[in-house]
Amino acid sequence: MARIEDIPEPTRTGVDAIPCPAFETTPFVAGPPLAQRRVAIVSSAALIHRGDKPFPFGSGECRAVPSAWATGDILISHVSINFDRAGFQRDINVVYPIDRLRDLAADGTIGSVADTHYTVMGSTDPAAMEESADIIAAALHADNVNAVVLAPV
Amino acid sequence: MAHMLEERGLPTTVLALVLSQVVKTRPPRAVMTPFMLGRPLGEPNDAAFQRRVLLQALRLLERTDGPVILEHFPDDNPSWFDRPDWVPAVTLPAPGAVTDWQAELDRVLPAWERFKARFGRTTVGLSGQPVGDWAAFALSFLTGALPTVPAHDTPALALRFLCDDIKALYGEAVQADGPPPSARQIDTWFWRQTVAGKLLIALRGAAMVSENNALKTVGGRFFVPAPFLPG
Repeated sequence: MARIEDIPEPTRTGVDAIPCPAFETTPFVAGPPLAQRRVAIVSSAALIHRGDKPFPFGSGECRAVPSAWATGDILISHVSINFDRAGFQRDINVVYPIDRLRDLAADGTIGSVADTHYTVMGSTDPAAMEESADIIAAALHADNVNAVVLAPV
Repeated sequence: MAHMLEERGLPTTVLALVLSQVVKTRPPRAVMTPFMLGRPLGEPNDAAFQRRVLLQALRLLERTDGPVILEHFPDDNPSWFDRPDWVPAVTLPAPGAVTDWQAELDRVLPAWERFKARFGRTTVGLSGQPVGDWAAFALSFLTGALPTVPAHDTPALALRFLCDDIKALYGEAVQADGPPPSARQIDTWFWRQTVAGKLLIALRGAAMVSENNALKTVGGRFFVPAPFLPG
């Protein structure tokens, strides 16, 4: 619907004022060249498979998004009147760039694409997502992922 | 989430849309993009553009001069700009009474079918209701009824996701033919020129005076963007 600077008040201030955690440390994990990276996507769009229950608002849960899902069966359940939907309607890759990762893997720019990606509900207090972070990290390590693209909407 | 995953041993890179949040949370690596909320890769059906965005973020993983690394993506996505010659794929008369919505919906459905055939997908589906049930279900809220459906636990959620499906169906239908309009053009068409837009505004009004607090909350937060509220 809008860029952040185009969102009318008071919503814009509300978005800017969303509590964000202050971290005492800034971890920085190194890795091999891109061509040796196995890449996963983590989306805040609360992606679901058609027919699945939408994420509850404010939920701290995470759900798996298998690479094998047909892109036509994936819906966004993070509903917001401030989001543009026209892009996602035409092409899921503007939110969940699975085809672009496949392109990059096919031409050797990255090593490979993870078998499973993950999604959470945006606008959720990050403190409610610690358990989800544990689940996602364990699963991605098990899949030998060594690069994560976070695509908040 | 970037911090959390990095603390758990995973290198991360972020496609960011809200600068204030990046400044506050200081993720280890991020590319700040100028795109609309809801489309972090920018341009639909433009693989080259999406690749540029994604690759800029991925390249940060090879740098060793962090944390924190923040770059900016330099370009607007092409359909950010209005297309003056755009013609909606659906031609509708001036919007009439909301109680006549079914007639309008019937005129929109052929374009929606063309959209699905052209793009091979639809984002309609959150409501869990067949399109043929939509009008009676939505209009009943204007008479004070509080129905629900098996797919959702409460009337508020059922109506919230139906409103999203209505916007999705119309948004897809109006893009069925020709080059893409801007998101602003789609929004303006929907909210100013359709009965469906009037209906959602009426449903918001009904929700806001409802004694059902959940309905009141979702009506205020999820039905109508502020620029299109009446008055």
